[in-house]
Amino acid sequence: MKKEDTVKLISAEGFEFVISKEAAMVSQTIRNMLTSPGGFAETEHGEVTFPEISTTILEKICQYFYWSLQYSRGKETDFHIEPELTLELMMAANYLHT
Amino acid sequence: MPVLRSRVIPPTKPEIEPLKHPANKIEPATPARTWDTTRPASSGDDDGGDAGRKRKLDVSENLLGLEGGDREGFLNLRSGKKVIKRIGETDGGNSVDGKEKEKGKEKMDFEEVRMLREVSKDGVDVDKLDIKQNADGSCNEKRRRRFGREEKGKAKLIDEHSTVNGSEFINLDLELGTKHSEENVGSVSEPRKEQRVDKKSSVRLSESRMEQFRDIARQNASKFAYFNVEENHLSDDNERLVVADGEVEREIEDWPGPFSTAMKIVRDREKKLNGGQRIGSLDPKKKSNSSILWIPRKGQRQGPKLIIPSLKELSMKILVQNADAITSLEHVPDALRHKLSFMLCDSRQMNSHFLNLLFSGSPTEIRLRDCSWLTEQEFTKAFVSCDTKNLTVLQLDRCGRCMPDYILLSTLASSLNSLPSLTTLSICGACRISDVGFKALVTSAPALRSINLSQCSLLSSTSVDILADKLGSFIQELYINDCQSLNAMLILPALRKLKHLEVLSVAGIETVTDEFVRGFVYACGHNMKELILTDCVKLTDFSLKVIAETCPRLCTLDLSNLYKLTDFGIGYLANGCQAIQTLKLCRNAFSDEAIAAFLETAGEPLKELSLNNVRKVADNTALSLAKRSNKLVNLDLSWCRNLSDEALGLIVDSCLSLRMLKLFGCSQITNAFLDGHSNPDVQIIGLKMSPVLEHIKVPDFHEGPLHYSSVLSSL
Repeated sequence: MKKEDTVKLISAEGFEFVISKEAAMVSQTIRNMLTSPGGFAETEHGEVTFPEISTTILEKICQYFYWSLQYSRGKETDFHIEPELTLELMMAANYLHT
Repeated sequence: MPVLRSRVIPPTKPEIEPLKHPANKIEPATPARTWDTTRPASSGDDDGGDAGRKRKLDVSENLLGLEGGDREGFLNLRSGKKVIKRIGETDGGNSVDGKEKEKGKEKMDFEEVRMLREVSKDGVDVDKLDIKQNADGSCNEKRRRRFGREEKGKAKLIDEHSTVNGSEFINLDLELGTKHSEENVGSVSEPRKEQRVDKKSSVRLSESRMEQFRDIARQNASKFAYFNVEENHLSDDNERLVVADGEVEREIEDWPGPFSTAMKIVRDREKKLNGGQRIGSLDPKKKSNSSILWIPRKGQRQGPKLIIPSLKELSMKILVQNADAITSLEHVPDALRHKLSFMLCDSRQMNSHFLNLLFSGSPTEIRLRDCSWLTEQEFTKAFVSCDTKNLTVLQLDRCGRCMPDYILLSTLASSLNSLPSLTTLSICGACRISDVGFKALVTSAPALRSINLSQCSLLSSTSVDILADKLGSFIQELYINDCQSLNAMLILPALRKLKHLEVLSVAGIETVTDEFVRGFVYACGHNMKELILTDCVKLTDFSLKVIAETCPRLCTLDLSNLYKLTDFGIGYLANGCQAIQTLKLCRNAFSDEAIAAFLETAGEPLKELSLNNVRKVADNTALSLAKRSNKLVNLDLSWCRNLSDEALGLIVDSCLSLRMLKLFGCSQITNAFLDGHSNPDVQIIGLKMSPVLEHIKVPDFHEGPLHYSSVLSSL
């Protein structure tokens, strides 16, 4: 993947997840951050930091992005979520509008 | 000043004779007038047909300065007008105003006449009066009534029944096109002398009149076939209001204002469409009455938009299944808590474990839409551990089982100021709370702005008084649906004190009458944003009239099951309330044209419209919807069987904001519409085997404590 097509999501612990822009745009919040005119640092560097979201949750969210792209292309599978993660995942998903 | 006719009636024969001659000079221009002049001279019997003659008699005898010309004025009509049989009292000889009813002994159902009277002296323009036959008595007050001139082609709805004892007016609609109807007004019986004629549509009428009456009878027969117990008690109720300020009643199309213009436009449009050939019929074999042009989309539609389940929903589903495993709801935002508790209550998995989670800590909002599983002990235990100082919203619906007075006193109302920040409280279904408990509750929640007391059957008008006294200047939302012990007129004085009220729901309270509505909106109407009047079946067009006059900011109006409302009511609403966003009509008797005219006039801001079981809805409404309703999101056209595939196709393809369309009971809709419409976003519910419960309105979990204002707005 070229650098221009990717976005870096950084968790609270500092882990960096590099995903494609198309996948990141599944989240309405990230989409607004990356596309809004306003000279945000995120737009320029292509990096978004989430100090409240832990690494395991952010990883799960990135998995969801790719699953969602797959689903929209027709491959409809189940997305499994470990029950221990659900509460935090729900709150993160609520924040990210996804 | 008003001259009572009764004192001047000379019933003697000889006097009648000379008077007839002047009358005979008048050449009638309408058939009705021949009736007047062909009446035989025999008097003495106070028969129905003699009314006019007697009146003339009266007038001349009154010596009110009327000359012979005046009497002629009775029958001196403009061409094309109908004659009014009787005149009212004269007023200084200038014009006849006011109206008198005959004290008839029988039902005067089928007679309506109009009279034009020309003032002789001043040459002042004619007052047109409309006098109704009233079974009961005559009106003491004088009223000036002006009526529309020309006949239009349509019949108006007639809603009134007449009873012998009832003091009502009968709104009739002559097929020949005189449209007239009036609100129900009370009338005070005035003792009349016996000579006062008994106007029957009897002997002396000409054939044309008889035909008219027969037509009227045909129209009204079905109405009388339906017996309504309530109609017999009408005279006891204070429903019929006297229009004391001399208002006039006009035909719809002669009203000033946009509604009448819209009606004309709608009628013209319909004539144009129907005059042309039948177009737009998809299936030539099928008998389609629609004249709407709509071409369904050819080819396969992509199918409904693929809805990808969001991560939030997925995780919430799993949470709901494993609710017992949740250990804490700390840091979970209120909207998510509400959604979780909503889903748990719906699936009956709500239990005291989750309840304790909700109550633990210092919660700000708690919403439980179903507390029927909750016992008194569990509730007390959970509540005691709750720190209520930050609680702004508390919803404990269907809490009847766990909330008798003593529990209330030991929990919610345990001390003065035990709920210091509480803004919104809902205790629907708290059927065991009495006035005592309610008083304690009110004193412990001094910041209350919205209160929902639906189905609290033990609360009486004392409670409403207490509410008005303690919180009267703050309360902005009040719901008292189905509170059976509340009598509308008894609580009216208290309700009038709620000056900042924005939302009032009195659904299901049968004692709500026109009088109540008038009294309430005159005091509080300027702030009203939402009025729910479902099932208050005694209401008539008069209520809509006063609402339109006094509630300009009305956003939501619910008129379900108010069968007495007629097109006039919709007309008032269209002219007066131009900001309505949600309108719920169900089983109302409005006509297609009236609804279409309403949409043309005031339909732009509409977001949610329900025409459930408004059976007359047809092409006119469809055309107006397509033209005007750009913002419409929710539309309910269930049971509207006069709507064709084309009409619905036009609506769906034109209302681009439409997301939900309900079509329960519309068996006339075929796949031509379902597969042929081009709107990808709309969800059509009620026809095929689609999941039905998904359309039920889910509350907005992000909504604040108040619907129309922010809590911080200072009063």
